[in-house]
Amino acid sequence: MADLARDYRLLDPRTLEFTLRDGLTFHDGTPLTSEDVKATFDGLISRAMPSPRSDKLEVVERVEAADPLTVRIHLKRPYAPILAELSLGILPRARAVPPAALEQDRAPIGAGPFRFAGQPDEEHLKLLPFDGYYGGRPQIRSLLIRTVRDQTTRVLELLKGRADLAVGAVSPSAFPSLESNPRLRVLSRPGTAYTYLALNSRSGPLADVRIRRAICHAIDIQPIIEAKFHRYAEPATGMLPRSHWAYASTPGCRKDLARATRLLEEAGYSSTPTPPDESDRDAATIAGHRPRLHLTLKVSTDRLRKSIALIFQEQLAQVGIQLEIRAFEFGTFFNDVRKGNFELASLFWSSVTEPDLLRWAFASSNIPSPENSFGGQNRTGYRNVRLDALLDRATRVEPESRKALYAEALGLIDADLPYIPLWHESSPAIVSARLQDYEPSPQGFLQPLAKAREAVP
Amino acid sequence: MRRFASAPLAIAGSLLLVSLFLNLVPGDPVELMLGEQAPSIDREALRRSVGLDRPWYGQLWLFLRELATGNLRSSLPPFQRKVLPQIWAALPNTLLLTFAAMAVAILIAIPLGVAAAARKGTAVDHAAMGVAVAGVALPRFWLGPMLIILFAIKLDCLPVSGADSPRNLVLPAVTLGTALAAFLSRMTRASMLDILREEYVTVSRAKGLGPFAVLWKHAFRNALVPIVTVLGLELGALLGGAIVTEKVFAWPGMGTLLLTGIEKRDYNLVRAVVLVFTLSYVGLNALTDAVYAAVDPRVRRR
Repeated sequence: MADLARDYRLLDPRTLEFTLRDGLTFHDGTPLTSEDVKATFDGLISRAMPSPRSDKLEVVERVEAADPLTVRIHLKRPYAPILAELSLGILPRARAVPPAALEQDRAPIGAGPFRFAGQPDEEHLKLLPFDGYYGGRPQIRSLLIRTVRDQTTRVLELLKGRADLAVGAVSPSAFPSLESNPRLRVLSRPGTAYTYLALNSRSGPLADVRIRRAICHAIDIQPIIEAKFHRYAEPATGMLPRSHWAYASTPGCRKDLARATRLLEEAGYSSTPTPPDESDRDAATIAGHRPRLHLTLKVSTDRLRKSIALIFQEQLAQVGIQLEIRAFEFGTFFNDVRKGNFELASLFWSSVTEPDLLRWAFASSNIPSPENSFGGQNRTGYRNVRLDALLDRATRVEPESRKALYAEALGLIDADLPYIPLWHESSPAIVSARLQDYEPSPQGFLQPLAKAREAVP
Repeated sequence: MRRFASAPLAIAGSLLLVSLFLNLVPGDPVELMLGEQAPSIDREALRRSVGLDRPWYGQLWLFLRELATGNLRSSLPPFQRKVLPQIWAALPNTLLLTFAAMAVAILIAIPLGVAAAARKGTAVDHAAMGVAVAGVALPRFWLGPMLIILFAIKLDCLPVSGADSPRNLVLPAVTLGTALAAFLSRMTRASMLDILREEYVTVSRAKGLGPFAVLWKHAFRNALVPIVTVLGLELGALLGGAIVTEKVFAWPGMGTLLLTGIEKRDYNLVRAVVLVFTLSYVGLNALTDAVYAAVDPRVRRR
């Protein structure tokens, strides 16, 4: 939808008007008009089309197709984050609800630069440039998207020169060897992904903000960014990256072991030296002391995440915290996180663009519970009435006033530390010499292919 | 005959166990699909639509019923693709890989084992058995990428992964076959050593037969029975090893299908793949018996 609109304006706080581009065409040749936009949204709002997106469109009262190029969105109440919720793929009106929508599985139709040209088997997807694309027919002659499940094999295919583009498909540990290959380039833009440690603040030692802060002071992320990400990541101070319009700097917590130790002592976790005769028998001893605190960090079985967890383990040991690492297959891991069955968990938000995400992640109404069938995303169980009010207000005010509210919210979150901010990973594109003019997108999308071209041999 | 009677039991048991385990694994297709979003979407309706609201035995029953009518569908809403076409597409690839790996194993193991037995205690023997130990010890997820680096990148003579041409088969077959080759060569050596001690070998030597004829015509043919047995039994293990090998080489076979099924919690797909694995295991055992009879006439008469 964002790509299809030429322009939009706010008619009044509850009405948005979009003007579509001229000459929008679906891959089957039918023109894309406001009726298609209306049908797509109507299907979601009426829930005739079952979709996770319906919830977020709850605020839309109705969609009006004023004329073929004009769409008006009427809201039930002023709602600033609506633009982000409105960006979704538009279906031809004939396919906007089931069962016709199931056709999209067999032969998907859109209005984008490349059209579906077949799926010969489970591993391959063929796309061809679309003549009727509103941005002009792409120069690339054809695209073959191939699934290669093994990470090492993906790197080897790139080194062999059998792939021209890989985005978000390669572990950062492979970047140096890819960079040194003369046929490949590693192109990167500051990323919008946000990696953090979630601290379950419902109960136990982590319910105490002093312990959370102590952990934050004990952790040093710079060496990790250098050794594990080869600098393809930026230190994070909060959920929003520095380049974000609502970014506000917060005091944060720099590495300070003395401060961390002091905070732990204050919270009542003092260290006791191990009696000399026990020291070599007890494996849990850290530098001659019994650990003052035992915590568990859950991660997925991803090799990179596990190796980073080991660094945290070492860093926390320096202040007497014994960190146990438990790695689970992703489905199991994520289920535990959603059920609040963890102490620390290493997680990330794949793309942070709309700051209303702060409300999803930190408002008390979004704590997973049976009422929201554990779908709430405030997984640390963090509660702050003032923050709730702030984030709620930020969705209702004029766009210009939002920045100040989010700055205040970021400050509150920084003081309470339900998350320990780690870094914003960029998702570099690995591009072969055959592919020219590829400008990577910060979110790691493949849209830049529409403007790229093949090198003339 | 008793072997054939136990086959249905093995099949039923494996299906039962897999269904039980799937029930124990946290997360289900609906949760995994919805992921981050959707606080209030009607999860129960989605679950009902694919039968996930039933207890595990109810789901198993549904699976069997759909299977019997040949209309088995995946457990993933909303599209619920048919499962059998996916299996028919993947199965030939896995069979091809398995038999190629077996051929590699036989080609390496038999000469190695026979040579080691014929020159027992010499450098030839030690070298051959050294190779065998290394072959068993190398994990496939390591050996695979190493072979790719050597042959596909450095020597640039074979493709890295995929299944576009016959040349794609070479590296996965070697990766998969190595462990079996190692095991088989030790088996061949042991079996040959036993036979070489027999009186009729001494007799055939005494009557003036050349060493080659003694070794291959008299000793080796009799040493074949245990070798064939091991081969048949190990072929099942080969299917298991195929999962790792297929992942490394992006080989579109049953292992890849199984991993996809597990990742997405596509219960029906996982059940179907396991069923095929069990069936082939049982089938291979029966086949081994048949080959056994061909090699050793005494078995036929019993």
